[in-house]
Amino acid sequence: MRHGAASVKTILDRTLSSIAASNPHHVTRPVVALHAAYRVSEPDLIARVVAGDRIAARELYDAHAPRVFRLAFRLTGDAALAREFTQDTFVRAFAQLARFRGDSALSTWLHRITVTVVANAMRKVKRFRDRETDLEDVSLEHHDTAAADPVLRDRLHRAIDELPAIYRTTIIMHDIEGYTHTEIAEVLGVAAGTCKSRLSQARAQLRAALADLAPEHDT
Amino acid sequence: MTDERFDELMRDAAQTYHRPPSAPLDEMWMEIEQRWNDGTVERSNGGRRTRWNAIKPWMALAATLVIGAAIGRASTRSVSSFGVRKLPARVATTASPSPRLDSALSSPYEAETSKYLGQTTALLIALPSEVKAGRADDQFLARAGDLLTTTRLLLDSPAANDQSMRALFEDLELVLAQVVRLQNNHSRTELDLVNQALEQHDVIPRLRTAAADLSAD
Repeated sequence: MRHGAASVKTILDRTLSSIAASNPHHVTRPVVALHAAYRVSEPDLIARVVAGDRIAARELYDAHAPRVFRLAFRLTGDAALAREFTQDTFVRAFAQLARFRGDSALSTWLHRITVTVVANAMRKVKRFRDRETDLEDVSLEHHDTAAADPVLRDRLHRAIDELPAIYRTTIIMHDIEGYTHTEIAEVLGVAAGTCKSRLSQARAQLRAALADLAPEHDT
Repeated sequence: MTDERFDELMRDAAQTYHRPPSAPLDEMWMEIEQRWNDGTVERSNGGRRTRWNAIKPWMALAATLVIGAAIGRASTRSVSSFGVRKLPARVATTASPSPRLDSALSSPYEAETSKYLGQTTALLIALPSEVKAGRADDQFLARAGDLLTTTRLLLDSPAANDQSMRALFEDLELVLAQVVRLQNNHSRTELDLVNQALEQHDVIPRLRTAAADLSAD
């Protein structure tokens, strides 16, 4: 049976390779899904991407892009920017994949690139952005899924926006996106203790920013 | 504010703060593939660098002079050569914040790009004679390293929104990377690699075309 399965895999690999060769410039999802069913490990995928296999690249992309996009959107609050930064992340990742040594999880490495791409770009964005307009646009996208007071919620969102970048990234990753301290520490390249300290500072700053609203909204 | 109340607010924020839409996976992948097809990914991977095989040492001086002339022309006309008018489709098709950002950022980057092009021109023109005379010292090569860093920063800046300028930056990145490598090896072969970098990417014909375009503007 094992021999038979191996033969099927070989035939499938040849077929998929011929499909890829017939149209090397575009990899569609069905091809990737079919291929993915016979893939076994991420290191194998990485090796194939490094060798120029675009089906494998698409497979890696499909596995990681949703969370990369999600993180980019949380950090930017702008769908167009999140899309662009996600693309930049993967273009850079594929270009540098040969240098990925596997010291950390691929997801950690990708999120590190994402945070770097976003941080670098957002420094420029912040200098020129019409924040009032953008904040109004963002607030219109919010849905009242929780019972929080709209005024308090809006103040909290603004306070998160205005946090220094290192605190903001930390609190978004931990409290908003649910990363662990260990994961954040690896992504940001700091010690876990530093990460905890930053989170504590971020929370303290948020509470201070909401202090004047606290008495009337504390019940 | 109580801890409990604050935690409750943060839980609410997890649901409402910059709530992500569905990721447009196919659209993003098409763009990534496009950039892959354009050579961005392979080039960074080093694939093209390994294919340099033609050696024509005499090209060094001629090439750098042509680069200098073309870059000089480009730098004096950089105001009109990049910015909103020639935004690539990738930027132009995004929502309003990006084009607004690019147009707002163009001026400071123009100044920086102009300065960078001038310095790069001077360095590349001086390179063959510096190497031949054994004067390509650490300070000279450190300048090349600084320019290489600037190149990479510019590649990530709005200054690279113009496709022709981006292509020029990318090719200069390769050339400068080779120049930096001279730090460890001042041999003729290494200098030849710089020449090959210029030749492999058809830098000279492209620069001639760019220079002609600029003259026609």
